[in-house]
Amino acid sequence: MGLGGHFCVFPPYAGSSTPMDSASSSWKRGRLASMVGMHARYEFASLSSCTVGCLSFLLQRFMLTMSALQVHSRIGNLWRQRIDTMREYEVLRDGNVFGTGFSNSFVFSTEYEQARRMLGELVTRYQDLTVETVFEGKEITNDGGTCYLLESRHNIPVPHFDRDQFRNEVFKDITLVHGVGLATRKRLNDRGFHRIPDLLEHPKFRSGAHQVLDCLRRDNSAEIMDLIGCRYSKSHPAVLGVAAMHEPEDFVFFDIETLGLFSRPITLFGIGIIERGDLIVRQYLLRDIAEEQAALAATSEILSGRHRAVVTFNGKSFDLPYLLDRLAYYGMAIPPQIPHFDVLHFSRRRWKDRFPSLRLTALEREVLGIHRKDDVPGQMVPEFFETYLRTGNCGPLVPVVDHNRQDVVSLARLFFHQIRESYDGC
Amino acid sequence: MTVADVLRILESNPVYQKRVLHLETTLPEFSEYGMLDEPLSPALQSYLDQKGIRLYCHQCEAINHIRAGKNAIITTPTASGKTLAFNIPLFEHLENDLGARALYLYPTKALANDQLATLLRMETYCGLDAKPAIYDGDTPQSKRATIRENARIIVSNPHEIHHILSWHTKWRLFFSGLRYIVIDEAHRYRGVFGSNIAFLIRRLLRICRYYGSSPQFVLSTATLANPLEFAENLTGQHFVLVDKDGSPHGTKNFVFYNPFFNGVGERSAHQETKDLLLSCVQNNLQTLCFAGSRKMAELITVWAREDARRISVQLAESITAYRAGFLPEERRMIERGAKDGTMRGIVSTNALELGIDIGALDAVIISGYPGTMMSTHQQAGRAGRSGNESLAILVAQANPLDQYFMNHPREFFLRPHEHAIIDIKNPYIFSGHLLCAAAELPLNEITDGKSFSQTLSDILPELASGDLLKKTSRGWVYSGRGRAADAVRLDGIPGETFRILCQGKLLETMSREQAYREAHNGAIMLHQGTTYLVTEMDLEIHTIRVVETDVDYYTQPLKEVDLSVINVLETKVIQGLECAFGDVEVTEHYTGFKIKRGDTIIAVEPLSLPPLTFRTEAFWFIVTADIETTICEAGLDFAGGLHGTEHALIALMPLYVVCDRWDIGGLSSPSFGDAGKPTVFVYDAFEGGIGLAEKAYELLPALFASAHELVRDCRCEDGCPTCIYSPKCGNDNQPLDKEATIRILGRQIKMQEEERSAGCASEPENTCRVPAGMVN
Repeated sequence: MGLGGHFCVFPPYAGSSTPMDSASSSWKRGRLASMVGMHARYEFASLSSCTVGCLSFLLQRFMLTMSALQVHSRIGNLWRQRIDTMREYEVLRDGNVFGTGFSNSFVFSTEYEQARRMLGELVTRYQDLTVETVFEGKEITNDGGTCYLLESRHNIPVPHFDRDQFRNEVFKDITLVHGVGLATRKRLNDRGFHRIPDLLEHPKFRSGAHQVLDCLRRDNSAEIMDLIGCRYSKSHPAVLGVAAMHEPEDFVFFDIETLGLFSRPITLFGIGIIERGDLIVRQYLLRDIAEEQAALAATSEILSGRHRAVVTFNGKSFDLPYLLDRLAYYGMAIPPQIPHFDVLHFSRRRWKDRFPSLRLTALEREVLGIHRKDDVPGQMVPEFFETYLRTGNCGPLVPVVDHNRQDVVSLARLFFHQIRESYDGC
Repeated sequence: MTVADVLRILESNPVYQKRVLHLETTLPEFSEYGMLDEPLSPALQSYLDQKGIRLYCHQCEAINHIRAGKNAIITTPTASGKTLAFNIPLFEHLENDLGARALYLYPTKALANDQLATLLRMETYCGLDAKPAIYDGDTPQSKRATIRENARIIVSNPHEIHHILSWHTKWRLFFSGLRYIVIDEAHRYRGVFGSNIAFLIRRLLRICRYYGSSPQFVLSTATLANPLEFAENLTGQHFVLVDKDGSPHGTKNFVFYNPFFNGVGERSAHQETKDLLLSCVQNNLQTLCFAGSRKMAELITVWAREDARRISVQLAESITAYRAGFLPEERRMIERGAKDGTMRGIVSTNALELGIDIGALDAVIISGYPGTMMSTHQQAGRAGRSGNESLAILVAQANPLDQYFMNHPREFFLRPHEHAIIDIKNPYIFSGHLLCAAAELPLNEITDGKSFSQTLSDILPELASGDLLKKTSRGWVYSGRGRAADAVRLDGIPGETFRILCQGKLLETMSREQAYREAHNGAIMLHQGTTYLVTEMDLEIHTIRVVETDVDYYTQPLKEVDLSVINVLETKVIQGLECAFGDVEVTEHYTGFKIKRGDTIIAVEPLSLPPLTFRTEAFWFIVTADIETTICEAGLDFAGGLHGTEHALIALMPLYVVCDRWDIGGLSSPSFGDAGKPTVFVYDAFEGGIGLAEKAYELLPALFASAHELVRDCRCEDGCPTCIYSPKCGNDNQPLDKEATIRILGRQIKMQEEERSAGCASEPENTCRVPAGMVN
C-alpha cells in the first residue's frame, strides 16, 4: 500500500476467518486469503484521519477483490461438481435389453465397470508420458491453428466399380420414369420397350425418359441417389448402387468422437480415404480444446474436394450435422453439400430382421468377424477424453484413438461389403 | 339481488358487521379513448370495427410508442386490453415487412394457448399470412422444422428458449428477422427466477446480434412500484412506461374482512370465507373465490356445497372448484359455465390470476392475503362486468402481513405497489448463463462483458480452471462434458439437488437448504395438499424418502445462525443509528425440530445435519447504547426487543420488495462480534445475494416506520403471530419482548419525526459509499 510504518484498521466486523476453497485456490490466492482471515492486525501509528479513511477504503477494496476471487473459485467448483454428475447414458443391469426411455444411450454394468477399471489402469501406466511420445503422428498447422495428425494404413478388399455396368442397370429400370409402374412396365416390355432410352420414342413417356437421362448425364451422384431414392426408398440397395459412379478414391469415410451428444467440442476426427489400393486412416486429434478449429479446417478441406462422397455410420443424424454445427460455432465456412451414403440406413434395411443389434460393433462382429479387445464403449469416450484434458495423462486417449480408427476401418469394410453383395444380389 | 344488496347485508348482519373493518369504494370511471398518430391499415381498422372496439388512450399511447421503435412496458390492469395494444402494431409491421418475425413469451401453456387462439383469429380476419404457432416442449419433432422456417409469429416460453439457443443455427432465418419480443405477465420474472430470465434474455439478444437483428421489446405486467427499473434489469434496454388506464369500470367496492377482529377469532378464515361465498351466491352474485392452496380450494368448495345443498341442489351444483390439476376438458367446461352464467361460485387457487379467459364476474373473495399487493389487485380485478358495480372481499389470516393490512387499510390503498427485484449481479446465477452462452458462441471478454453487463476478467479463468471453458483464438469455448443448458436450472441457483421419493416415485426436488428445513428426517411435509412423513434422508446420494401419512401434528425446525461480515459495501446513519449493507457469510445449523399439535409443542427431537454455509448480502443496524439503557432500566428484555425487531422487519419486507418470508433470514444479537454491539441483521437466503436486502436497505426508513406501526397497533398483550412471532423462527420465538421492540423501533420513528418537525432534510447524515462491484 505504499505507506511506511505500521497501521491499524479496525474493521467494523468480526467473526471467524473465512474458509478457503482448498480445491482450486492457487498458492498465491491462498496466501492472500489467509491474510484477510487474520483481519489485518497491525499496530496503530499516528496518521491523520484522512489517511486512515483512505486506508480503510483501500483495504475494503482489497478485501472486496479477495472475496470476489474466493467467490469465483467457489463458483468454478460448484459448476464443475454439478456437470460432473451429468451423464448422457444409463448404466443398465446386464441383460436388461428392454432398457429405459433412452434407446441407444445405455451401457451394461459389466461393460461400464470394465471400462472404468481400464481407465484407472491406463492412467497409471501412461503416467508422465506425452501425447507425442505415445502416439506416432505429427503436428499440422493451418488457418485454424495446430492439431495432431495420426496416420495408419490398412489393407481392405475394395470392390471393382464398373460405371458402365451401373449405367446399364439404371437404363434397364424403366420404372424410374415418371408414370411407369409395375403393370405399365409389363405392358411396355411386351411392346418392346426394355430400356429407358427406348422410351424416347414413346409419345407418352418421352419427356419422363428425357428427365431421367438428363439427370444421369449431369453425373451428380447425389441427384441420382435422390431420383432412385424417391422411386424406391432412401435406403434401397439401388441407392447404394449409385456408389458405382465413383472411384474408390472419392469416398471419405468419416467418424467423429465428441465430448457429448451436442453443443460440445468434437475431440477426434476420423477420416478414411482409399489411396493406391489401401485405406489410409487419418485421425485429427485435439491435444487441447483450442486445437478444435484446426482439426475442423482440415476436415472441411478434405470434404470440399472434387468428386467427393462421404460415407458414415449414422452420420446423417449425427456426424455431419454435428460437424456443420461446430463449423458454424466458430464462424467457419461450410463445405458444399456432397453425396452421403449412410451405412446404418442401408444396414437397417438389409439386416434388421437378421441381427438383433445394428450397432457398428455388432455388425462388424457378425458380418466381418471382427472382435475388439479392450474397447471403450462409445458413450464413455467423453469421460475418457475429459480425464485426459483434466490430468494431462494421455493414457485414456489410447483406447479412444483405437476405437475411432477401428470405427473408420469397419465402416469402410461394411460399405464395400454391402456394395459387393448388392451387385451380386440385384 | 345486487352488489349493493350484499353490501347492505355485510353492514347490517351482526356477525359480519364486526368483521368488516374497512370498505374502500372507488368511483366509476368512464372510458378514455385515445388518438393514433397514424391511422390503421384498412384490414386492422375493420377488425376493430367488426368487434365494436374503440381504442383506449393507453392502447393508443402504447401503439404510438411501439410504432416509433421504442421499447414499451404496459402496466394497466387486467382486462384493460393490453393484448390488443401490442398485437396491433406487431401485425401492422408484419403486414408491411414480409421478412419480419415476432416472438411471444408466456409463463404457462394455458396462456400461450389463449394467445395463439387470439392471434389466429386476428390473422384470419385481417388476411395476414403470419402462420402463428406454438413452439415448446410439446411441439412434435416432425413439426419443428416447418415452424422454425415458416412461422412469422412464434409463441413460446422461457424454458424452451433456454434450450433452443444452442441450436441457433437451425433458427437463423427466425432470429435474423426478429423484430419484436413480447413478454406477457412479465412481473412473474422476479427474484431468483427473474434473475435467471434476465440473463437468458441477454443470451437471446446476443444471438440476435450475431444474426444481425436487434428486436424491440414489449412488456406487459401488473402494476409495480419500479416498472422502468424492472424492465431495464430484465432486458438491459431502455423503456417507456404506459400506465394511465383508459378502460372504464363501474363502482368498485373493496371490503377488508377480518375473522380475527378480536385478536383470537371464532372460526378459521376458510370457514368464514365459505360463509361469505355462500352469501354472495345466494344473493345471485356470480362469485370467484381465491384460496391459498389446492387443498383449501377443495375444502371451501366442499363445505360450501354441503351448506348450499340444504337450500337447493341446483345451488350446490353451481359451486365448483377450479385448479391446474383438472383435465383440460373439465377446465373448459367450468370456463364455459362461468361465461354463460350457470356456474355461480368458482373456488380456485391462484391459477386463475393468470389471465385465463373466464371473463369478469360480480364478486371476488380472496381468502388470505396472496403475499403481494400486486396479486391482490390482480385477483380483485376479476370482479366487475363492464360498467357494473363490483365487490371484492379480502379475508385475512392470522399472520402479521394480513393483520397489518386489516389494521392499517390505508397502507394498502395508498401505498405504491411493491418493487419487483431482479439481481443481475449475482455471480452464481450469471456464471451459469455464461457457460450456456459459451456453448452457443465462443465468448469474447470485452463484447460479451457488455452483453451481460459484467466484468468477466475474473470469472472466466475460474470457470476455465474448472475445465468448463477453454480460451482459444476464437474466444472462450465451452468444454464441459455435460450440456450447459441442462446444468443450468432457470428457477434456482446452482447447488445440490435432493430428490424426494415416495415409494420410488419422484414427488419433487429441492435445494439442500430447503431439504434441511422442510424435509429433514422425521419432518411432516406437505406436497400438493397431501401430507407426508420423511422416513429417510440420505445425504450421500441426495435422496429423501417419504411415506403418505395422516397425522394431526406438524413439525418446525430449530435453527442456529452464525454470521460474519465479509465486506461493508455501504453505510449510512439514519437518525443516529448506524445502518450498513454488505457481504456476509452465514452459517445455518439445523439442530433439531419441534413436533406441534396446533400451538402446543408435543416433543422436540434432535437432528444431526451438517451446517450450511453460504455467502450472501445483508443489511444491518446497530442499536445505540442509550436505547439499550432505557429498555433495561424499564425492566424489559433487550434481547427480546432485538429479536422482535428482526421478526417485524422480516414480516414486513414483502411490502416493499416482492419476496416471501423464506427468501430472507435474520439474526439479532445483543452483543455481536468483537465490538460487542447490539446488532440486527437481515440477509438474503440465497447464495450470492439476490438484491432483496439491497433494496430494503434503500427503503429502511419506511420499513422501520411500517414495522413500528405493526407492533404498536397490534392488540395483543405480549406479542403474537400477527406481530412479532415468526412461524419460521429457529429459536422457537424466544426471547421476544413486545414492549422492547416497540421502543427500539419507536425510537427511530420518533427521531425521524423530530428531524422532520425541526425542518431538517430527511436525508441520512453521513453516507459513506464504497461502490459495489469494483474489482481490481
